[in-house]
Amino acid sequence: MVTNVTNLSRSGLYDWMAQRVSAVVLAAYFIFLIGYLVANPGMGYAQWHALFANNGMRIFSLLALVALGAHAWVGMWTISTDYLTPMALGKSATAVRFLFQAVCGVAMFAYFVWGVQILWGI
Amino acid sequence: MLYALGKSLGSEEGFAEVKACLTSPLAKFVAWGLLSALLYHLVAGVRHLIMDMGIGETLEGGKLGSKIVIAVSVVIIVLAGVWIW
Repeated sequence: MVTNVTNLSRSGLYDWMAQRVSAVVLAAYFIFLIGYLVANPGMGYAQWHALFANNGMRIFSLLALVALGAHAWVGMWTISTDYLTPMALGKSATAVRFLFQAVCGVAMFAYFVWGVQILWGI
Repeated sequence: MLYALGKSLGSEEGFAEVKACLTSPLAKFVAWGLLSALLYHLVAGVRHLIMDMGIGETLEGGKLGSKIVIAVSVVIIVLAGVWIW
């Protein structure tokens, strides 16, 4: 059982699932977006604006943004607990790891709020 | 990238500004780099999902899978480069 207090859900299995579900959402979102850009070369502002103003696309974008936050958190948590350990860093490992995770968390929160502002602003 | 998204959606002038900025060779190279990282991550992630289903979990399967990931990624990344330029 995972007993680390900083993991997303207090359950490794749930984290594992969250990582995969968010991965599928992100894959669908980016494949759609890149496909749309490839299919519409030389797109103008009106079409670009209309795409993101569409309600379905707003929901999809917001879903992708939430998924990005969760996916990045699980990924960064995994990296930090694998490599920023007392074995690698000695006594200061906990402080370094916590600081790293705090920076990641603030970044994800900031990206989320910023993204919501952009999507709501149009 | 969020800054570019916000600017391009904010106004017609912003859109033109972002578009003009993305025509410079350096910006194209950076965009290609970011896109390459995303595409490789995507392909490797799909491999994870396939392995979660119990396919290719042996040592040989793992080696073959990693080679397929590299090959597929290289092809897609080259295609992305062609698309950008």
